[in-house]
Parts: sequence; structure tokens; C-alpha cells
Amino acid sequence: MRGRPLLYTSYESDQSMLNTTTKKVVLGAFLAFLVLLPFTGGAASSGDRLFDFSIPFVGFLSSNDYLQLLATVCVFAIGALGLNLLTGVAGQVSLGHSFFMGVGAYTAVWLGAPEGPLLGMGLPIWIWLPAAGIVPAVIGLIVGPTAVRVRGLYLAIVTLGLVFIGEYVFRNWRSLTGGSQAGRSFQELDIRLWKEEVPLIEISQDGPWLSTNGKAFLMMLVVLAIFTVLAKNLQRSRAGRAFQAIRDRDVAAEVMGVNEFRYKLLAFGISSFYAGIAGALLTAFLGRTIPERWDLILAVQFIAIILIGGAGTVSGTLMGAAFVIMLPRVVQNFTEWLKGAIDEGGFISVIADPIVATSANDTGIINTLPGVGPGLSVLQANQVLYGLLIIGFLIFEPLGLYGIWLRIRNYWKGWPFTY
Amino acid sequence: MRAKSRWLALLLVLGLVLVACGGDSGTTDTTAATTTTEAPGDTTATTEAPDDDDEEAPMEIATDFGVDLDAGVIRVGMLSDLTGPFGPLVSAIVAGAQAYWDDVNANGGIEGLQVELVVRDTVYVVDNHIQFYNEIKDDVVALGHSTGSPHTVALNADLIADGMLAIPLTWYSGWSDSSMNSNLLSHGTPYCIEAMNTIGYLTTEHLDGASTIAIASLPGDYGQDSAAGAKLAAEAAGLEIVYDGEGAIIPTDESAITSVANGIADSGADIAWVATTPGTFSAIFGQALAAGYQGTWSGPSPSYSPAYVAPDSPIKDAIAASFVGGTYTASWVDSPQWHDLILDAGLPVSDYYFEGIIEAKILEAALRQAYANGDMTRQGVLDAAKSLESVTFDGLGPDESYVGADNDRLQRQGYIYVPDPEGLAAGTSGGRVDVASLYTSDLAANYEFTGACYTLAG
Repeated sequence: MRGRPLLYTSYESDQSMLNTTTKKVVLGAFLAFLVLLPFTGGAASSGDRLFDFSIPFVGFLSSNDYLQLLATVCVFAIGALGLNLLTGVAGQVSLGHSFFMGVGAYTAVWLGAPEGPLLGMGLPIWIWLPAAGIVPAVIGLIVGPTAVRVRGLYLAIVTLGLVFIGEYVFRNWRSLTGGSQAGRSFQELDIRLWKEEVPLIEISQDGPWLSTNGKAFLMMLVVLAIFTVLAKNLQRSRAGRAFQAIRDRDVAAEVMGVNEFRYKLLAFGISSFYAGIAGALLTAFLGRTIPERWDLILAVQFIAIILIGGAGTVSGTLMGAAFVIMLPRVVQNFTEWLKGAIDEGGFISVIADPIVATSANDTGIINTLPGVGPGLSVLQANQVLYGLLIIGFLIFEPLGLYGIWLRIRNYWKGWPFTY
Repeated sequence: MRAKSRWLALLLVLGLVLVACGGDSGTTDTTAATTTTEAPGDTTATTEAPDDDDEEAPMEIATDFGVDLDAGVIRVGMLSDLTGPFGPLVSAIVAGAQAYWDDVNANGGIEGLQVELVVRDTVYVVDNHIQFYNEIKDDVVALGHSTGSPHTVALNADLIADGMLAIPLTWYSGWSDSSMNSNLLSHGTPYCIEAMNTIGYLTTEHLDGASTIAIASLPGDYGQDSAAGAKLAAEAAGLEIVYDGEGAIIPTDESAITSVANGIADSGADIAWVATTPGTFSAIFGQALAAGYQGTWSGPSPSYSPAYVAPDSPIKDAIAASFVGGTYTASWVDSPQWHDLILDAGLPVSDYYFEGIIEAKILEAALRQAYANGDMTRQGVLDAAKSLESVTFDGLGPDESYVGADNDRLQRQGYIYVPDPEGLAAGTSGGRVDVASLYTSDLAANYEFTGACYTLAG
């Protein structure tokens, strides 16, 4: 049956995650690229490299700071997958994602941080990481019954309440969180069997070929891969179909025999599990957290990831996470490029000049010397862009980046007979 | 595996050194130094010295990150809060630093090298701070400033690992403690000493017969360090603390702000010491005033903003009549020698540029010393900075020293000021005039510094 892309002869092949050869090849190549990437960057301190070449066009991503950004993308993608299950697949709008991330983070800190003046038990990662998922999931199940009784706007408000309650608790539980605006350190990504001095796998130091961020990126990539497969699997299972039925019409779903309460609760629990893992990894990776980190803005950022990526789709969620996390850097680099173009003069500088202000008396939308003249700073420009993108996607491409990808794919599928 | 890879790494390094030394001697000096980052200066200095004629290469300068001798550039990073809660203040600080470096560059730079600032806006968020640090760290030789204490604490381990010097843009008293500041150059009176000075001034020179004080602050290093100093000052001056709102001000929580304002108003204290952000200070001030509070207001530098006394400000007269503040730099009015530099850069009148200039002058001293030492690697700049016995600021602030015991080099001299609405309206002042310069209260002068007044746990 080779060469007939949309012909499936069994239920398994129809439902399989990678149902075409192209998908398998492309995904395999992409994964190989991601795994190879940190090795081409080498260790930050010595500059030694296992492979002495750089990948064309995107080789710059192997530098230490981009690897950090990519690792952050992976962590955010894990969190976003959880929210996607709840909001995208099961249709339950939640603004409380950052609360569950915070619970996960502080569970990890409590269990994993070394014993000292603040709460900490010094347990290894294989204990604190799963616990950081389980505790938020349990809390999700506890608050779930209240939340699943309401829907739509009311659910959004209930979950919004969680964020503020959480922030209040985090701010005031000083022995655990270090207190408002002070926070505490947690740099425990190293993999240990128990509390031994020398870790089994050391993430927090440069290795002979990999930088710290390179190692962390690979680790996050592995965790993300596991959670992606789990999410994808769940979506095509009985539970996933129940979620979608509830999303599309809850009354109809119940009539068909879907236990609405149970599945909504399940969606809540699983979503919180993902959030907790993401929160714990983010904290362990960045090394420090303050209670204010787990605020409404973070929750909104996750909503943005899902909306921009494409609600209800796993690959869209991954794209959305990459997009939202990389956007500030893109704006930054673009601004610098425009600035360079202005210095050089020529055609681009004519367009760039009204966009970028380079001196105190220059006017432009983006001001590279903030505080000196009018105009937005790069980060403010980024936030404006962010808002515009969300509105733009909602109006023009409700399927998000996934929708754009779908159209590109379909165009090439029929090429050259596209019409 | 590990041993093998180490050998391989060693071989690679040796290979690189050989390649670097094998080229013609005229151009290899900087490349060798940049490629073998493990032990930069020594390799080049020893291998090159015999080959070169003295007249051609008077001195070898070792470099690794952020210093490009061929292009004649030194890059300095700035992790700034440009759009967060301290945005207006920090923006002016960055502008001041930029104006100063422009002036240095126009006059020959650091021994001919031009200084470029690499500024990143952290919005006062720890994650951004760490992320931007990683982005710029391999492009810069030092951090011209690092805004915020939890942020700087979060970086400290990285700074130490990278041998990176940073000037904290925060006056947490822990930065004067040598167990915390191995890579940091503190400057100005710490929050805690600032509170001692200002309250000391209020009780001995400004007010007659003050007997009570209300203390309110943000949670965290800044607010609580300041509150700790205020409590010591209150005890020394015999003031009764009638309202204790240490750590009670939560910027995002309106009800917390109201309860602090009511707490201050109900206490009827003679002095209200409030350590917070400008935005929350004006809210507390307004609400307490509306509730009938008539005491004297005071607070550390970040509590005050010249916007309070701007011509269209509703609290202009009330602030002018009741506020006395402490700070770290001389005011615009008292620093005419610096006016041309700022005005020529096209900047409006403000008191906050001087903090930027002070930071720049500290770094300039470190860079010049590093150049003189022939080692402009990150570690070289750090070592040079830590050997500076005296840095002077041409009337902008008290001299700083970076050698000696913590208690000896703790900065105890600060400035006390009152608002100046008339000057601000006329464009002749940045909104404040100093009533005492290089002031030290008795308590601050005799305070034995053994570590941070407020301990950052974890």
C-alpha cells in the first residue's frame, strides 16, 4: 500500500501517532537535529566540541544562551501541554495554571533543596520531580469539584481566585518560599541516586563537550518528549474522546454516557500534574524563584501559548511555546539589526529609521536608549506585539500556528496541482 | 570514559595553543588569548615575550571576553529595570552612565579603547535577569550594574563561576559583607545605614521632641534591610515604634496598601519611615493624609520620586511640607560641575544620572587598573577592581575603597535632602535639595558591621 498516503487498512495505522512516512522522517530528522545541537556548541568554558562543525543556518542556536532559551521553551511546552489538555481538549478555561506551577515548584523545593535555614530535605530528583507533579494533581483534584460545577467565564474566575490565594500563601510562607521579593535558591538538576556528594549525572557543571545549558536542554528535551507522547496518547484514548465530547457540548456528552464530572476532574488533575512538573523544572533550571513569579501574567502567557499555537493540538502547543518564548529574542535581534542598518545607511535604513530611535533627539517606535526619549523599550514593543498577535490569531487563524502549518502542508501535499 | 575525554580535551587545548603559537608573531597575540580561555594571559605572555621587539609591542594585554583590542572596544553589560517598578529611576541611571561613557570615549576612552554598553531590560523579574545574563555574558567583560537584590543573589553563583565583576544597583547591606561580595563592588550607604543616618538627622537636627515612629516597608532585602536599620535608629534615638509594618507593603495588593496607610494614620507617629517603590509610596502617602495623618514622612532613596513635586502633582505641597529623605549621591543643585556633561547629552535635568556616573567611574577605575596590570580578562578586571584602594567621584558621592576589613570600608556617609518643587518647576533642580552632605549619624558612625542587617534566607 506504499505511495497511497491517506489509505489506512487498519484502525491501528489510522490512529497511530505518526501515520505517514513523511511524518516519521521529518520528526526523526528534527529530533536528531535537536539532540545534536548542544554537542555542536561545545562546552562553554573550554570551547571543546565533540563535533567540530556547526549546523548551517541555525548553528547559532548551539550557543550557550540560545540553549538556555531552548531549554526554557521545553519547560514551557510541558506546562502548556497540560493546559492544552484542560483548555484546548476538554474546553475548560483555566487561569489558574501558574498556581499549580507554583505548587509544583515549592513541592520540589521542599523535597529537593538541601537542609538549611529554610525547609528542605535534600532528596534526589527522582523523588522530587514526580512529587512535584503529584502534589499539584492532588490539589487539583481537591479544588476540582468546586471548579467543575461551573463553566466558561465562571470557571475562569474560580481559577483566577486560585492564583491570588496561591500568591498570598507563597508570599507569606517564608520558611518555604524565602518570602516576597527575596525568594530562595534551588539549583538541583543534578541526578543523584541518593544524597551522595558526587552526582550520577552532573547537570550543573560544564562537561568535556557539553555546557551546563546544553545538558539541561537535553534533559528537558527528554522530559518533554515523554510528556508529549503521554499527551498525544491520552488525546486519542477513551478519556481524550470524552474530553472532546465535553468540550464540544457537555450536555450531549452526558447524554451519550460520558461521566462529565469524572472526566472534568480528570482533566483538572492531569493538567495540574503537567503544570507542577513544569514549575519544578523551571525553578530548578533557573536556580532561584520568588513568590511573585507564579502570578496571573504567567497564566496568561500559557493561554497565549495555546491560542497562538492552536488550541487542542499537541504540535500546535509545542510551536506556540517556542514562538512565545523566542519572540522577545527575535524582537531584540531584529531591533539590533535595524539599528545596525541605520548606522550603515542605505535602503533598509529608510524603513528602519521611523521604527527605531537611536539617539536622544531621534523619534521612533522602539527606543534603543530607554528612558532618554519617547518610544517603547524593546520589551514593551514585544508586549505590544504579543497582544496584537493574540488578537490577530483569534480573528484570522483560530487554529493558530498549527492552522498555518496545516495549510502549508496541504499546499505541498497537492503540489504542483494546488488549487 | 571521563578520563579519556579529559585527555582528549587536553590534547585539543594543547593543539590550539600550538596552532596559536605557530603563526607569525605580529598578529597571534590576541587570538591565542581568546582561544585558550582556560589560562589566557600566561601562555601568550611567556611565548610572545622573547620574539617581540620592545618598541613594537610595549605591553601584552591578555583578554578573553568583551574586550576586542583590534576593534578597540570594551563591552560592558547592564542588567537594568527599565520598564518595571523602578523603571523611571533606573532609566535615568542608565542614561547618566551612557552620557559619562560617551564623554570618556570622546576623550580617548580607556587607553584608546571605546566603551560600549550592552543594556538589557529585566523588568525587575528574576527569570529575565538570569536569561539576559546568559545572553550577554560572553560579550561583556563586566556588568556595569545589576538591578535588584534577589536578582543579584540569583546571579551570584554564576558571577563567581564566570569570574565576572558586577556593580549591584541595590544597596542591600549584604553587599558590604565579604562572604557575599567576592564579585560585587558595593557603593553608597546600605539601606540599613541610610535609615540610621536619616532618622538620626531627623531626631537631632530637624524635629524637636519626636518620640514615636511608624515603620512600613516592602518585604524582601530592600524594604526589610531598611526597616531593620530604622528599628535600630529608633532604639538609639529613644523613639517608640507605634506601628510596625515591616514587609507589609505588597505592591500588587491594594488592601495591603490601604491597611498600611491606615496603620500609619491611626498610630499618629511623629515620623513615618516608609521603604517602598515610588508608586506605592504616593498611594500610602495620599491615603494616610486623607485619614488625617500629620507627621513627618521619611524614607530611603527609592521611595522618593521627583514626580511627587512636579507642577501638576496633587501631593506637591503636602510632600514639600513634610518629607525628608536619605540618599547616596549629591543632588543636581549641588553638582554644577557635572551639568554640562548631562545637558550636552540632550538629557533633561534630574538627580538620578549621578548614580549612573558613580557606577561608571567605579568601573572605569577598575578597567584602567586592569589595563595597567596588562590583564583585561574578566578575572583580571575583577582582581583589579578588588585592589582599588580609593575611588573618588568628583563631588558626586563619598569615596569608596575595595580593600580592607568589612567594618572599615562600610560606607557610612550619605546625603539628606528635602523636596524642591520650585526648583523643579523652574528647571534648576531635579526635585530635591540637600540639607546635609556626607552626613553620618552617631549611630551609623559607631555601628559595628558584622554582616547584613537583614538576612536573605536561602
